[in-house]
Amino acid sequence: MKKLLSMLLASALAVSMLAGCGGGNDANKETDNGAATEGETKVYKVCNLVNGNLGDKSFFDSAEAGLAQLKADGRIEYTTIEMGGTTEDESKWQGYVEEVSASGEYDLIVCGTYQMPDYLKNVAEQYPDQKYLIYDDTTHILPNVANLSYAQNDLGYLVGVYAGAMTTETSLEGINEDAVVGFVGGVDSPVINDFLYGFILGAQESNPDIKVDTRYVNSYVDPAKAKELAESMINDKNCDIIWGVAGNSGNGAAEAALETGKAYFIGVDSDQELTFSPEMAEITLTSGLKNVGNSLIWFFDEWDAGREHFGKQTLLGMKEGGIGIVTDKNFDSKTPEAVKEKVTAAIEAVSNGDVVVPTAVGNETNEVQDLREAVKP
Amino acid sequence: MFEQLIDMIFSASFGYSIIRITSPILFAALAAVVAEKAGVVNIGLEGTMMISALFGVLFAYWTNSWIIGVIGATAIGILVAMIMAIFALKLKTDIILAGIAVNLLGGGGTVFLLYLFTGLKGNTASLTTPNMLTPKVDIPIIQNIPVIGQIFSGHSILTYVAFLLVILVWIMLYKTAMGLRIRAVGENSHAADSVGVSVLRTQYVALAISGALAGLGGAYMSMYYSQSWNIGIVAGRGFIALAAQAMGQGEPVGAMLSSLLFGFASALGNKMEGMQGFSSYLVASIPYAVTIIGLVIYAMSTLKKVKRFKDNDK
Repeated sequence: MKKLLSMLLASALAVSMLAGCGGGNDANKETDNGAATEGETKVYKVCNLVNGNLGDKSFFDSAEAGLAQLKADGRIEYTTIEMGGTTEDESKWQGYVEEVSASGEYDLIVCGTYQMPDYLKNVAEQYPDQKYLIYDDTTHILPNVANLSYAQNDLGYLVGVYAGAMTTETSLEGINEDAVVGFVGGVDSPVINDFLYGFILGAQESNPDIKVDTRYVNSYVDPAKAKELAESMINDKNCDIIWGVAGNSGNGAAEAALETGKAYFIGVDSDQELTFSPEMAEITLTSGLKNVGNSLIWFFDEWDAGREHFGKQTLLGMKEGGIGIVTDKNFDSKTPEAVKEKVTAAIEAVSNGDVVVPTAVGNETNEVQDLREAVKP
Repeated sequence: MFEQLIDMIFSASFGYSIIRITSPILFAALAAVVAEKAGVVNIGLEGTMMISALFGVLFAYWTNSWIIGVIGATAIGILVAMIMAIFALKLKTDIILAGIAVNLLGGGGTVFLLYLFTGLKGNTASLTTPNMLTPKVDIPIIQNIPVIGQIFSGHSILTYVAFLLVILVWIMLYKTAMGLRIRAVGENSHAADSVGVSVLRTQYVALAISGALAGLGGAYMSMYYSQSWNIGIVAGRGFIALAAQAMGQGEPVGAMLSSLLFGFASALGNKMEGMQGFSSYLVASIPYAVTIIGLVIYAMSTLKKVKRFKDNDK
């Protein structure tokens, strides 16, 4: 028995090692191809550190797509390292950042999300000549790090304008005449509330009397809890449109909408319609997008033009293509023309600065909290 | 404000919520009860549920049949429990360590397995088809009674299985030879050994039953409650079940009542989230606070009983 076990363990180890090697080879190949298409302008060497895995259909895939686009245009060559996203993997992240920094091979090391800033800071201070980029985080400002953040308040505003206008469009099956929309947030935190702030203001722009039911799951991985919350919103408060801003938990709100048949869901970060089963995609009206990939392309455009964004926080909005709202598929087929026009006008207003949405990040005066309580149904 | 809250509590949807929240915890609590009765602590419930939840979805996806999915989840639950049993009972690892290992495996290993089998990395929301989900059952007659019907009818078939299992586990423990052996081994393994009961075999069986029950809980999570699997889907329900087992004094009915109490507190929290002036952080702690209060009340009543008993003795 012991023998069998040790055999099993040994073979498992061997398999995982082989798997690791396989990944490495692929990455090498990519770099080789990149080198072959060298153009006239400087071709940057980029290392993309993913603190999770590709295939998340969200930030990581978006960043990867942006880099792939840049490579196809012959502007960069890059290597992507998937560092793994579990608690056990976290202990290795520091090592990865350290290793690629020490190699000195890369012009730019890219990483992202709220989980990375501390690991990055530790290493970036040791390698002052190495350039880094971190997306969707502004925790530490270092001279050799470019912090890209996304105007989630603007994003919230666009979604809010849409939801506020749609919630009384009773011609769409399942929509009731009550002007009540819902917001399922991950955690009561500044970033999530930044989405919320814009969402409420946008909804009020469409309908001054609107009520917004806000509830937090207190977890990003518990869709079952989000489902309970959303069902209570739908059954007790007549919410008919719910925006889920809670990572995986958000999907629970979509399930509640599908199960009750009395509500629609709006996704976040990436086009969630594409990630759902057909039934769930059907009740997903649109998604608010953080376009990490676009922002990376924008960043290289700027770099090539001689504008460096290291050592500061750069907030990307509609104008830079950092955020957006999905306007094809269900949005296109289910939205009345008048509402579409409203959304187009809102996009316009946000991009040219006619509408300035206040932010909840760094706001000490609790304005969002007061607003949130004031509009509860 | 309290009027609003009371209105919500006395609505049918509130009762329905309680039962739905309770079900997965009940499966796991029963799993903990059976293992504990045999003298083994199955701390790996969380991980077992996570792995079973994944395989339930995978089997259902491959065969496009929820029945095969549920059976698969149960079988995987037993398999995981058996791996734990081999390490703990045969190779003499500390069972707590084996349980922790299973929980870690459930957290990280499942992502690896998901990728291996499907190429997906975060969740299975894109795989779900209606055939893969356990069906809702309308109970004849009861479903037509107002309020009662809305609360007790229309749940997942697994919910009814969970409550049925409370009775079955009780019968198994107290009315069968196997149950007697399990209890004997748990009470005093040396005494059981001396009368010819195989301690190891009994503990294997108890862990297998425990694994199967946890497996059903996992299937409930991914094939009904959440309709797809994602990283961390069980979200601590396996640990809450351990608390429910302890609070229920290790008895099936007691575990059910404490699971229901936890379900009630969670449902209450979910409703309060939607009201003005409650911090979501405060609301999130309600189920745990209720659990602690429940334990205190229970301990006080036990103390009183003991005191009365002593007073009578004098």
